[in-house]
Amino acid sequence: MSDDFMRFMATWALVHETADEGWKAAVARGVAGEGGEMTASADAFVDGLSAMIAEEKERLKAELSSGRTEPAGDKGDVIAKLDELTFEVGELRGRLETMQASLDAALDHGEG
Amino acid sequence: MSARSRRIAGVFLRRFARALWDAKLGLSVPAGRRAAWARQIRLACEELGPTFIKLGQLASIRPDLFSAEIVFELEKLQDSVRPVPVDAIRARIRSDLGSNPEELFASFDPVPLASASIAQVHRATLAQECRPACGDTLPVGTDVVIKVVRPGIERIIAADLAVARRLISRVGGIGALKRLPLARFLDEFEESLASELDLRNEGRIADRFSFDFRDDPLVVVPRVVWRRSARRILTMEYIDGWRLTELDSVNRAGIDGYRLALHGAEVFMRQVLVLGRYHADLHPANLFVTRDGRICYLDFGITGRTRPEQRIAIAQVLAATVYGDADRALRYSRELGLEIPLESEDAVRSRVADILASTMGGPGPSDVRGFAVGFLSMLADYRIEVPPGYGLLVKALVTVEGVSRALYPDIDIAAAAKPFATRLIAREFMRPERIAERMPHAIAAALREFTR
Repeated sequence: MSDDFMRFMATWALVHETADEGWKAAVARGVAGEGGEMTASADAFVDGLSAMIAEEKERLKAELSSGRTEPAGDKGDVIAKLDELTFEVGELRGRLETMQASLDAALDHGEG
Repeated sequence: MSARSRRIAGVFLRRFARALWDAKLGLSVPAGRRAAWARQIRLACEELGPTFIKLGQLASIRPDLFSAEIVFELEKLQDSVRPVPVDAIRARIRSDLGSNPEELFASFDPVPLASASIAQVHRATLAQECRPACGDTLPVGTDVVIKVVRPGIERIIAADLAVARRLISRVGGIGALKRLPLARFLDEFEESLASELDLRNEGRIADRFSFDFRDDPLVVVPRVVWRRSARRILTMEYIDGWRLTELDSVNRAGIDGYRLALHGAEVFMRQVLVLGRYHADLHPANLFVTRDGRICYLDFGITGRTRPEQRIAIAQVLAATVYGDADRALRYSRELGLEIPLESEDAVRSRVADILASTMGGPGPSDVRGFAVGFLSMLADYRIEVPPGYGLLVKALVTVEGVSRALYPDIDIAAAAKPFATRLIAREFMRPERIAERMPHAIAAALREFTR
């Protein structure tokens, strides 16, 4: 839900990009981290959130300009899973290689 | 009593006598007494060699067991010992990998690159290409380092530990020593060292770290050559650069130190708050800056873990610290297991606020180390136990500040962390369950405003 919320806000920001100077200022403050004290955190919160939405907006803009039409999450998820799987295979290969090296050494000693 | 037992007992007796003298026979202020003891414990560890250097290093990341003075003093331990003759290293490689290093590698440098308490490192070049668990294939001729566990070290450690246990059983109940859980610490040390002596564990953690930061162009982790590694041998890619301890104004001129320092801090935050596993032994000697200006992480012997439910509380404590909010810091510290007795709560809060104001809220740069020392000493004064994971994290944070300052001496790490902290809190507020939890209060507050 929070991803959907961010997406919704990013869409809003993209549409209203040129209209709202207050929004731009909040983003600038959020990026620069001049949000104020956390004990009176409403402004800091709004600025930080604005900066996050601005980041999401840039991602959305890049996606739209690249002409991608599939849902954003799906392809990313598949790539992440493939990456993880490739790494696990690499880890297993490493384990096998070190075991093989130890086994070869033990066999050499046995024969010697 | 063996000669080694006599030597260990003798060194500790002499050092304790010196500590007593330095602490004005116990008449100096408590922090002064603790500092005098800490210094002599560090010198005793250095004098007694590998087992005690390692013991000291492990104690230096345990503020939950030892005082802040001991923890920060032991951090200075020098882990550089006389090298083992290369023939002994050659024999170990032959025994564990089946052939002499000259046959396994295209070249092998008999002069050690480094010699520490547990292992010795030699340079070599690959004779065959190698496919690592993560990253591109290492071609023939790649420069590598071979880390070899010092022959005989297991025996020395076992013998020293047996002596240490006998000593503790005799003197562990005397005076200030009885407050230290020394026997428990030795048990943990034995377990941790067994894991550290199996270098494959370090290789696996390095692989995982490398995978976690595969998309980060500023982070480098040496790739492991598994077919030339075994339990007591780890072969890794050689990375050229400067250790942070070697950075001077000349080589610092070629790198963007400020950017790297900030990035290093963010990498640490990502490990703790997103990935849940972090490099807990991140002192400047374990970090390199490559000649093309990237950060290279080495030596993954000690790592910490955070559970998902802890990460939110950690984020809040970090944010509260950088913003100087004592109340919030203590509230979320409780969620991390810090038990503050109700009767001391107000006094503790007031002390934390003072420490925050003097270390983080002044006109100059913030002082995370000063805050950590003050905070841990305050907990010791109130006899509040520090949960192990919490202590490791506090210590790791101080290390991050040290590393950042080695890269860019004028950095204010707390100021740099503020935007990150603000975003963390904003992200936390946007979680659906938090919104649901806060919505009734928000509506009630809005209604109060309307009906005012």
